[in-house]
Amino acid sequence: MTNSDVTLRVNNVTKRFGDFTAVEDLSFKVRSGRVFGFLGPNGAGKTTTIRMIVGITAPDQGTIELFGKKMSSSLQDRIGYLPEERGLYKKMRIADQLRYFAALKGMSARDAEKRMDFWLDRMGLSDWKKKKTTDLSKGMQQKVQFISTVLHDPDLLILDEPFSGLDPINVEFLMEVISEFKTQDKTIIFSTHLMETAEKLCSDILVINKSRKVIGGSLREVKESYGRNLIALRVTGGDHILADDTVVAKSTVHADETIVHLTNGTDPQALLRRLVEAGANVSKFEKVEASLNDIFIDKIRGNAVSEVQQ
Amino acid sequence: MKKFLAVVKHEYRKVVLKWSFLIGTLLLPLLAACFAVVPALIFSIKGEPTRIVIVDPTGKIEPRLKANLSAEKMEARARKAAEKSLKDLSPSQEEQLKRGTEQFATGFEFIPYERASGNISGSDFEALRRDLADKVALGEIDAYLFVPVEIAAPDAVFEFRSRKSGDFVVNETFEVALNDAVRSERLADANISEERLEELGRPVSFDSKGIDERGEERDGGGTFIASFIIGLMIYITLAIYGQAIMGAVVEEKETRIAEILFSSATPFTLMMGKLVGVGLAGLTQLGIWVASAAAIISVVALQTDLTAITGAIPTITPLMILYFLIFFLLGFFIYASIFALVGSMVTTVQEGGQFAFPPIMLMLVGFYFSFAVVRDPDSSLSFWVSIAPFFAPITMPVRILSQTPPFWQIALAFVLNAIAIAGLVWLASRVYRIGMLMYGKRATLPEVWKWIRQV
Repeated sequence: MTNSDVTLRVNNVTKRFGDFTAVEDLSFKVRSGRVFGFLGPNGAGKTTTIRMIVGITAPDQGTIELFGKKMSSSLQDRIGYLPEERGLYKKMRIADQLRYFAALKGMSARDAEKRMDFWLDRMGLSDWKKKKTTDLSKGMQQKVQFISTVLHDPDLLILDEPFSGLDPINVEFLMEVISEFKTQDKTIIFSTHLMETAEKLCSDILVINKSRKVIGGSLREVKESYGRNLIALRVTGGDHILADDTVVAKSTVHADETIVHLTNGTDPQALLRRLVEAGANVSKFEKVEASLNDIFIDKIRGNAVSEVQQ
Repeated sequence: MKKFLAVVKHEYRKVVLKWSFLIGTLLLPLLAACFAVVPALIFSIKGEPTRIVIVDPTGKIEPRLKANLSAEKMEARARKAAEKSLKDLSPSQEEQLKRGTEQFATGFEFIPYERASGNISGSDFEALRRDLADKVALGEIDAYLFVPVEIAAPDAVFEFRSRKSGDFVVNETFEVALNDAVRSERLADANISEERLEELGRPVSFDSKGIDERGEERDGGGTFIASFIIGLMIYITLAIYGQAIMGAVVEEKETRIAEILFSSATPFTLMMGKLVGVGLAGLTQLGIWVASAAAIISVVALQTDLTAITGAIPTITPLMILYFLIFFLLGFFIYASIFALVGSMVTTVQEGGQFAFPPIMLMLVGFYFSFAVVRDPDSSLSFWVSIAPFFAPITMPVRILSQTPPFWQIALAFVLNAIAIAGLVWLASRVYRIGMLMYGKRATLPEVWKWIRQV
């Protein structure tokens, strides 16, 4: 893979705050023109990692390379960052704020004006241009924040929980805009703990937990490596077979079905045969793919378990 | 650099476009103008001259009264009153009124009245009085005066009747002129020379002036008040703009805008831009104040004698104004960086208010020191507090005004405070870059110390 295919490289990055290690020996790369899902529970080190990528803080160890160069403040202009906890100046007009943010990204006043009008129009906020933040609803404020993120036409877009607090219509709209960026060959890093959304949007993912990488790669690879031996089952009887841990690694009981993880090397057909032979009444037997949510929960829980064992 | 300018512009506009700034900047000169100019304008609207008939059986008072109310005499008195009001800066209400009347009295027109001369007996008086009262009622004349026959008698009454009895300016002026006329007449009767009496009764001229280090005399009168005003003005603007900085920092922290800002420009650029932008706004305000003060003084000066002004107000040279602005900026950067540091430590504006106490205290001490400086600008205490960081921005301008110290002391104060600024800005920017991203709780001092040492 050449440099131009990779927008971002994080190499063995560690960040500590006093005795607390927020990110430990983290490495990953984000390919150009793809939507990269950066996933993890609260407190996993996502925000710290993102802050290092956008140049707010510097890593204690390791390096960050952006667009083939070592991260520096001059590269900040090519990033659009929408933080999870974002704000606007309360008593300032929307247009004035957007102009200021654009100027801070090194845009000329004329370009800023043009792009601002375009985006305000697109978001249906043209009439609100001269209003103050306090006059806007929360959803409108979020749209303004999104505009401030994309105003300077960044090559890398980092969105931290962009959908929180948005109504379904606006979520749909924002998703549309994001896919549009994808077609323009821009790279998007998308941080969330909504797995369903991540599954819809992301082509690559990285899951971190407790400051370390848990799993990463393209969504397909991750799913395949995980979910090959997964069966959705609705059955009465045959309990002793399902309890056999040479066949079933784990089973999770849902409302009307049980998800069964087979041990490595076990043939699903063999399980079905044994159940039928034992006289169990099988009403559903389906080979399924693990959802990202399942993988996420499993990986994070597994992490916790292995920690307890240690 | 482009980003720095963007921050400067943003912060400047944010302060200057606020209503409070507009009101504060324009209201103060306007109020000052009202106090200085408006009374003068109102009094100077001169009405018609008062038409008056004088019935003087003695024939002695009328010419003296006419002389006293002549245009030249009135103008001389007006000038004297104007001078007095500039020298005595806190006159009583009564005193002010008197000066006003003296400065702005309108003229009198003496209407000849054929029946007024010669000997008039008691019954004639009644007829005259009725006739004149009719004339007043008809508006042919405005007032009349009956001079008693025996002006020396203790119960002699001067009868003055007027249509405009409420016009205190006219009444007061007339009464003073009449008193003078009668007094002169009585003196002449007693064979006492008026000139001689005035000469003997003249108060000593008490010449109180300070002497500066070059042995030159300077006036002490207005210096105290002028120094006090300068000290207070710098103290107030420092406090206002220091807290404006803190408010802006806390807002960006509270609303999490800092996160967006830090992903666009370096914290140092952002903080310096903020300091410079708000500092320029403060300078704008001070500049407008200084310019309008100059304008008001020159308007007042046009109305009165210039020498009277330069005698009362200490001479403020353009160089002094330059010094004041420089020391204001020094003070601004010292206190603004402290306020920025405090702002990035706390989580809400209210919390910041509590922590604003130490810098405010420091300013206040400097302000109090300026009293000691005015009283004795050459003492060693004055020397030390006027070069010391934190105090010099307030005390040095006061000292320059009351007695300009040698240049090397001003330069020393500048250098010492510039060094202090460099240190404080460094310190503040280190706390700022970390504190702005620390949400949730106020930082403790050990934590802040850790941030400062952190690379």
